[in-house]
Amino acid sequence: MKRGKKKKSLVFPGRMYWFMIPALAFFITFWIIPVFQLFYYSMTNFNGINYNYDFVGMKNYLTLFKEGTLINATKNTLIYTVIMVAASNILGLALAMALNVKIRGKAFFRTVSFIPALFSAIVVGFIWSYVYMPNGGMISSILELFGVQEGTFNVLGNYKTALYAIALVEVWKGFGTTMLIYLAGLQTVDESLIEAGRIDGCSEWQLIRKIKLPLISATITINVILSIISGLKAFDYSFIMTNGGPGKSTNTLMFTIYKIAFNDQMMGKASALSVVAFIVIILITVCMLIFMNKREVEL
Amino acid sequence: MKRKRLAAVLLTGMLSMGLLAGCGTESTDKGGDEGESSGKKTITMMFQGVTAENDFETTVLPGLIEEQFPDVTVEITKLPDEQYYTALKTKLASGECPDIIKVQPRHAGANAVVSLAEAGYLEPLTDLEFIQEEPDSAKEDMTYDGEVYAASTGLSILGTWYNKDMFEENNLEIPTNWDEFLNCCKVLKDAGIQPIVMGDKDMFVTQFGLYQIAANQLYPENPDYDEQLASGDASFTDEGTWDTILDMYNTLYEEGYVDESSLGLGQQQAQQKFIDGEAAMTFDGSFSHAAVCADGSAEFERGFFPLPANDEGEDTYACIAGASGIAVYSGSENKDICKEILQSWFGGESDIYSGWADNDKPIISWGPASENIDPLFQLFADMYNEGKSYYFCNQGWPSGTENEMEAKFSELIGGQGTTVKDITESMQLKYEDLSGN
Repeated sequence: MKRGKKKKSLVFPGRMYWFMIPALAFFITFWIIPVFQLFYYSMTNFNGINYNYDFVGMKNYLTLFKEGTLINATKNTLIYTVIMVAASNILGLALAMALNVKIRGKAFFRTVSFIPALFSAIVVGFIWSYVYMPNGGMISSILELFGVQEGTFNVLGNYKTALYAIALVEVWKGFGTTMLIYLAGLQTVDESLIEAGRIDGCSEWQLIRKIKLPLISATITINVILSIISGLKAFDYSFIMTNGGPGKSTNTLMFTIYKIAFNDQMMGKASALSVVAFIVIILITVCMLIFMNKREVEL
Repeated sequence: MKRKRLAAVLLTGMLSMGLLAGCGTESTDKGGDEGESSGKKTITMMFQGVTAENDFETTVLPGLIEEQFPDVTVEITKLPDEQYYTALKTKLASGECPDIIKVQPRHAGANAVVSLAEAGYLEPLTDLEFIQEEPDSAKEDMTYDGEVYAASTGLSILGTWYNKDMFEENNLEIPTNWDEFLNCCKVLKDAGIQPIVMGDKDMFVTQFGLYQIAANQLYPENPDYDEQLASGDASFTDEGTWDTILDMYNTLYEEGYVDESSLGLGQQQAQQKFIDGEAAMTFDGSFSHAAVCADGSAEFERGFFPLPANDEGEDTYACIAGASGIAVYSGSENKDICKEILQSWFGGESDIYSGWADNDKPIISWGPASENIDPLFQLFADMYNEGKSYYFCNQGWPSGTENEMEAKFSELIGGQGTTVKDITESMQLKYEDLSGN
């Protein structure tokens, strides 16, 4: 049977494709081309100043791997992200549930919980640097009242604790936003379902586990993905509070890229690490998104 | 309908004409801005640093230049370090670099004179009269391939700031060798005083002590060490070089002479502890003069001496480097007038020079301005003139080598299991990576 003449779509006629050109041109110029340029520079020894650079092949990638920079930065970033995702989501969800019930001063508590999110990272970093200060810092002074010697509490100066300490600051700043999104999600849960559960004899935990959590699963996905992205892009507090130290214990991927590019003046090597970071972030985010969407369906 | 279409076409046409006319006006403006149309040349300058109150470069210098060069209009931008580096790179890449810029000596920093000169961005200034009158060490700091590319603005000193009152109370005098220095620290510690405070959370402060030790233990024996590093004839891992320096500095931490919580303190916090009288000494630079001499909760007299890391019976060397330099962009259309301005600024006779000496108070050991040097730095200026000093080590290395040294040393004092050997090996690897060897 011969196919008839193709019918023209009335909803999206052919010439409408022309309207994509400006957006496409913008996207290609400011996104696709720079990404390809990044790949190109990652195979050079460009120092950001001298344009007489050489093509060095995969040397930058190999050096990053050999000197341990890649492994150290990725490991630190992943630890930071796990703390950030777990703590900010558990804290945000718990607070959202607590502030979703009828209690006195609910609006006040909601506002107070959100205040840290309003400060810039620079301000938060400086405040917490003094909170953590080993001599005369807030925590140190409180501990001194309990007989702990001044200077003993030195979390930023200890390579074992520094990463956790700055991750907690990120959690402190970010849990308000997470809480707000959970609060919005919880308010969409139909009260009649909760009521029905109560009539059926569900405990509080069962109400949360069987009704509330499944109904806000999309909100959980959003919050977890946002926290993952924010954790993988960690830069601010390594830069402001520890400068990557002690040693290299708080060197995250983004901070290491910055350091290689602007302190070491090795734009080529920084580009190579950017490429790796780009792939790591995309892979983790996509995997998590697929996993979370599956969980949503199961719930 | 037709009328609407016609109106739309006309409107579009008018807008396009307006846009094109706008472009035209912009280019005319460029060619004929206020300065040019009145026959004046506009000289652009970009400096690095934080603008202080009554800042010389941004508030005094333009007036002085315009007074002496009536045909010149000066436009000055001053940016903090990081912003300056970014702006400079962008401007150099786009060919829009200001006529006069600030550079750092040898290999130091992102605006190192060597890397900029190597890339062909700087105009040689060797023939200028005032350059000929600079001491050799000042010229060497700004030299690449036999040509001087920047005017030195004075000296930058690393030393030991100390609390004179605490020293007197404990009957201590300025030590003259390493053993005496260690003894000094011991006496203070036994008296219940924290001998040294450092803000090692800002890892760059590690350089302040290490470079002073290198000036005594490394360069006097082998002044060409950095050249040998570059040619591959020496290595950071060579015995009796950086292993000795790192060992000596680490002793101060092992013995508890440096505040145990130093890794949790930033440079500012350490300076605060020093001016509050909570420690007797801190390794810092002449560039921290204002911060270290600011009022704290304790009142005491400050002093500044070179860390005597020399062995007994040997001379003490100071760690002194050229401060930043002023250079001319090789692509500038006003190179000649820029050179005239620099000659006038640093020549020692003009109002610009006097204004600079009075307002900026440079630490300088040559020319008329050297007569007004702060007494705190006189000893260092004398040592510089006598050749009893060496530059900051990082100025002889590709920028970034020092970062590896700082991070690894931080691991060592933080008890991360890093050894001195690990540090020298990492430094060597980094050096080779940065220099492309």
